[in-house]
Amino acid sequence: MPLAIDDRPPVTVTRALCRVEDLRDGHSRGFDPLGEGRDTMFIVRQGDRLVAWRNNCPHYDNARMAWKKDEFLNADRDRIVCGAHGALFEIDSGLCVQGPCLGDRLIPVALDIRDGEVFLAAPYKHGMRPRPGRPHN
Amino acid sequence: MRIIGPDEIVFGVDDLDACRAFLTDYGLDETAWTEGKGGTFSALDATCVSVWKRDDADLPAALPSGNTLRQTVYGVESANVIDEIEAELSTDREVTRHPDGSITCEDDCGFALKFQVTKRIKTDLEPERVNSPGAEPARLENQLGTTQDAACKPRTLSHIVYFSPDIKKHEAFYMERLKFVLTDRFTNVGPFLRPQACRDHHTMFLLDTPPHMAGLEHIAFHMQGPTELMLAGSRMIQKGWESFWGPGRHVFGSNWFWYFNCPLMTHFEFDADMDLHDDDWEPRFVEAGPQTAQVFLFENTEKWFPGAPGD
Repeated sequence: MPLAIDDRPPVTVTRALCRVEDLRDGHSRGFDPLGEGRDTMFIVRQGDRLVAWRNNCPHYDNARMAWKKDEFLNADRDRIVCGAHGALFEIDSGLCVQGPCLGDRLIPVALDIRDGEVFLAAPYKHGMRPRPGRPHN
Repeated sequence: MRIIGPDEIVFGVDDLDACRAFLTDYGLDETAWTEGKGGTFSALDATCVSVWKRDDADLPAALPSGNTLRQTVYGVESANVIDEIEAELSTDREVTRHPDGSITCEDDCGFALKFQVTKRIKTDLEPERVNSPGAEPARLENQLGTTQDAACKPRTLSHIVYFSPDIKKHEAFYMERLKFVLTDRFTNVGPFLRPQACRDHHTMFLLDTPPHMAGLEHIAFHMQGPTELMLAGSRMIQKGWESFWGPGRHVFGSNWFWYFNCPLMTHFEFDADMDLHDDDWEPRFVEAGPQTAQVFLFENTEKWFPGAPGD
């Protein structure tokens, strides 16, 4: 039986995700912009630069990547790592350089920084699969 | 060939302290630890997981994929079985005999193996008791079914799942050379296997994958039953660990499952209530997919009460 097609439209999120100063330099943090109950994206801060990706390993659809809440980086903090099977990704490009999804890329999330606050720059698609029987909620 | 199943899985990791925190929260007992070097974490029957630094010179070589799996240690019934395996495998590969009587070698896909007389402790533990109307009660008057503070300790190492870089060769090695038995097969994925001295539906499952993925997909420990599985998994969520899949109940094996991501960079599964089989079983052949992989699937949420005073 095929999976139900998720045709829920992207949602415009107007409130800020956080302030830039809330993000620890050299670390990652997960976010749940649509209040789906799980972090569906994460931000990595490197100095003044923020890089954001969907929390979705290209290895398996809907695969969560953190090895613990907010932990999306390897021990050396120079790669994004998937806590599912250890796939390593370049922080800047999202390219998988080692692991099950070698050569695949993470899905970027565009951010907009205004007055020290971090906003989503575009409408945001759900990250969790719909509840059974409610494909359009 | 009387192989029981995995006694120990050995990992080479990057973040020892994070692994130590995870394995302790998962419920294993820390039975050895050396700061900066690593240690061993054991279930109630002494089956265990060991984590060492990735560059530890005492570890078997890593797979080319960079996977953290470094060795699978099988427990067998007696020293005669070690001799039998040595005779079988030394015909076409290097097999090293160690002073403690164990042997080490590689399988046909380069995965490091060790065979030892099992170090499992014989346990006599309470089962989960479920009252089913129409049948004799399994719990009598005043025997309670749940406590919030149950220890929920993993009881024994249940099974491992490999990303197999050459599944035909891999499967043939375990079935023809080590006499593992096929219980069921996901036709598009791979076989569920049990060694001959094991009644569990599977202690090994192989996933057909490209060579760059070779390694461990997950490891599972058996819990007392579904209730302790749910409680243990809920505690993991409370502590910030990342649920990957579950809780739910598989079709093949009938085992309840709950998988977690972890700093060992594989999945650790809690499982419970797996089917047993013997040689009379006829394997099923089914295509793997969401409908055939599980009977049902749930997602953990915050605890709730409808209309608690003061809420």
